[in-house]
Amino acid sequence: MDAKTQKYDRQLRLWGSSGQEALESAHILLINASAVGCEILKNLILPGIGQFTIVDPGTVSQNDIGSNFFLDFDSLGKQRAERAYELLGELNEDVKGNWAAKDIHSILKEDPGYLAQFSTVIATDITRETAEKLAALCWVGGQDANNRNPAGKKNITFVWVKTVGLFGAARIAVPEHTIVETHPDNVADLRIDTPFPELSAFAQSFDFDTEDSLEFGHIPYVAILLNYMDKWKQTHNGKIPSTYAEKNELKANIRAGMRSVDDENFDEAISSVLRSCQPTTIPSEIKALVNDPKCEHLNAESENFWILTRALRDYVNDHTKSDGLLPLSGTIPDMKAQTDSYVTLQSIYKTKAKQDVQEVSKVVESLLSSLGLAAGSISQQEIETFCKFSAFLKVIRYRSLEEEYHQPNTKQIDPDSVFPYYVLLRASDSFYDDHGRYPGEGENWEDDVDQLHANVGTLLQSWGIANDAVSKDLTHEICRYGNGAIHNIASLIGGVVSQEIIKLSTRQYIPMNNTFLFDGARSVSAVFAV
Amino acid sequence: MVDTQTITDHERWAGVYKLLDRTSRIHPEFEPQEEIKEFIKTCKILVIGAGGLGCEILKNLALSGFGDIHVIDMDTIDVSNLNRQFLFRRADVGKPKAVTAAAFVNKRVQGVTVTPHYCKIQDKDEDFYQEFALIICGLDSIEARRWINATLVGMRDEDNPDTLKPLIDGGTEGFKGQARVILPGITSCYECSMDMLSKPTGFPLCTIANTPRLPEHCIEWASVLEWSNKHGDRKMDTDDPKDIQWLYETALARAKQYNIQGVTYSLTQGVVKNIIPAIAATNAIVAASCCNEALKIATTCAKNLDNYMMYSGNDSVYTYTFEHQRKDDCPVCSNSSTKLDFRGDKTLEEFMDYLKEKPDIQLKRPGFAVGGKPLYLQAPKQLEEALRPNLVKPLKELFSSGDEVTITDSTLPFSLQAVVTLT
Ligand SMILES: [Zn+2]
Repeated sequence: MDAKTQKYDRQLRLWGSSGQEALESAHILLINASAVGCEILKNLILPGIGQFTIVDPGTVSQNDIGSNFFLDFDSLGKQRAERAYELLGELNEDVKGNWAAKDIHSILKEDPGYLAQFSTVIATDITRETAEKLAALCWVGGQDANNRNPAGKKNITFVWVKTVGLFGAARIAVPEHTIVETHPDNVADLRIDTPFPELSAFAQSFDFDTEDSLEFGHIPYVAILLNYMDKWKQTHNGKIPSTYAEKNELKANIRAGMRSVDDENFDEAISSVLRSCQPTTIPSEIKALVNDPKCEHLNAESENFWILTRALRDYVNDHTKSDGLLPLSGTIPDMKAQTDSYVTLQSIYKTKAKQDVQEVSKVVESLLSSLGLAAGSISQQEIETFCKFSAFLKVIRYRSLEEEYHQPNTKQIDPDSVFPYYVLLRASDSFYDDHGRYPGEGENWEDDVDQLHANVGTLLQSWGIANDAVSKDLTHEICRYGNGAIHNIASLIGGVVSQEIIKLSTRQYIPMNNTFLFDGARSVSAVFAV
Repeated sequence: MVDTQTITDHERWAGVYKLLDRTSRIHPEFEPQEEIKEFIKTCKILVIGAGGLGCEILKNLALSGFGDIHVIDMDTIDVSNLNRQFLFRRADVGKPKAVTAAAFVNKRVQGVTVTPHYCKIQDKDEDFYQEFALIICGLDSIEARRWINATLVGMRDEDNPDTLKPLIDGGTEGFKGQARVILPGITSCYECSMDMLSKPTGFPLCTIANTPRLPEHCIEWASVLEWSNKHGDRKMDTDDPKDIQWLYETALARAKQYNIQGVTYSLTQGVVKNIIPAIAATNAIVAASCCNEALKIATTCAKNLDNYMMYSGNDSVYTYTFEHQRKDDCPVCSNSSTKLDFRGDKTLEEFMDYLKEKPDIQLKRPGFAVGGKPLYLQAPKQLEEALRPNLVKPLKELFSSGDEVTITDSTLPFSLQAVVTLT
């Protein structure tokens, strides 16, 4: 085992070498070396992102060293970008770091395409106006917003983060994120209701009348289910049990066939009846996906994901090849069985899955050729993975910050939820626009409560939401926090954001859509698609 | 360079001090007092574990303004820790975690004192634990958690409020984790929630020996059965690459023989060391949540968690906060005995295996007694040998239905009183 595999062992068990490779090609920009910003970078540098860059025009203050672990006593008065770069850089010798003690606006003035080099841009300690501007740039791949025609430009993930006292929030924006490896809990697809010929033949190969109790106790439950299901179909016009009573009847039939309480294989069969009586179909989310316009209108710039999804559609529509079903995953769970019969069953599913992959591959190849793309430009490995997880594919389309700021996606507000804090964050931005500071920052903090609550009222009115959705006590609490940075909250939000960036960068697992809110006073959180 | 004198608590801890200086309308019970700031600077707080969670917890406490922190850990640093345990560098591999972590935080955060204890938690007595105002646990061992939980519950004297030691416990696995607050004797304790743990992984011996199907079965065969056949009394060292390599090759050979695919070096290591995937991000979330509760408990600036927060990040970001209820027959924090049903014609050994696997009991090396008379004990050796014949006897020959059986385990600082109904 090489040194890198040893160091990364505990994470490779989550996202594998392909995820690690993707992570190592990520280049992350942090705007402002705040406590939460540095916590995010810490959790990304440790698992080995490719590169990070810190942009921050400020110098290190006393409050910085009281809330940020990557700025120390010796850093007081020095460039914040440089010191954070140094102390964070120590964490992993395989990660490259850069810094600039400049304001992001002046950088963009000199180099309008500056953002295009990054895969993710994290913005902290910035005004709403700046956030909107940066988010709009990332949305179109980092090119100047006046020059929106970036052929082949990839999208940049934009992440906005803020902590205020015991409250913290994070927002993700990217036009579209597609995921194949969503890591569902269970990918087994056993086709008990519609067995393919090889599977039926396998089930029929067992002697249910055998005198040998060891042999009888080791008939794999899949064979038991198929056998009893077959008998059921013969007396029910070829239909599988559909009502609750019918399913219970099938269970009772199986139970009656049991010879001793030690026949755990029969127990396994009985406990799988409910799942196995669900007809094998295409999940509605996947049906919607194959009907997506991106699938219909492929071009040479289309992501592999959409070419593969189109191939999936064409495969499924060709009933002679697919029976109208998704490719088989080829995975089976462990079950009580003799080694030989288990290995045989495993290879029956695997072989069928391979045949399905081959059929899908043929469609992929013909699509590639019609698009003028090189044969094999989507690898066999990629097609295999796609087929294996085809029932769990996922596409997330985020709302842009522009849309959100115009009108958040909400009709009513539960005053007991975490959402009122979102309203208060937005109201604090309005307060900042009026006063050039955030509520509660000064000594006479309680004087700001009325003003901030008036901002809340104005916002709610403009969204057409009842005025009592945010209690004045909560407005008071935000003023109490006084825009203060508390390390625990920075660290918690930093953990959540870094985890989401890992999911987005590796294209594995499912990231949140789109705003995470954490209330540390009550220890509760929620995600809203605002 | 700025002189130490120019550092003021007021500026440095501005975020925390706003919370402590200002009243709250959502938590009107809170009264700001200067003593609270003094208290967090001087109270002693204990961190158990200096691993993935422990590193985070030490950092968080130091930056919350806690001034007197102790950390206890018996482990040394391994190269596979470096992807998340950010207080350690490659050059630190092999050094004690507690000592290295404490030195790092002392150097980085001006004015804090972190005192390391490089030993097992079981090496310390009640007098040691009595000194702390609060204890935070960042462990991956169930056994150590049960030990500290039972110790703290046992230490509590209802007439003496100083004996109540709040225990904050964090745990992670991959993208999932939890943080909880235990007020020993008041809220549900660690033992109350044993049944929330997933069943200990382990495969039936007959599967491993006779009908292997998964690569894991082949690895278990190599480590459980074949190791002692080939190596006699020599104990396996799962940290020695040579031993892992032997297990891997042995498991691979068996897998070939049975046409089983999927035995790899990494899987072998994972199975024999019971490796749990771990990343910095999840540790950060859970540790921060624990320390947020610590600050709230120590200062009363907001209500503390009552009493459990689950976290999951596989699919979106999800937390669930709820009050875990005390278990009426908890062997640690209640006075009533556990009720068990078991077949009277089954042997004591079968009863023992059942208790080893039962999620809310999970014993390692149990001993049994009825009415003060031992039925089976793991030690001393002579007694074990004398009582061993009882293992194959059916329960109905050893005691009557409804008898109270005392179950002990050398790994636990308490005994379990179980009323066993023989069926
Ligand atoms: Zn309890």
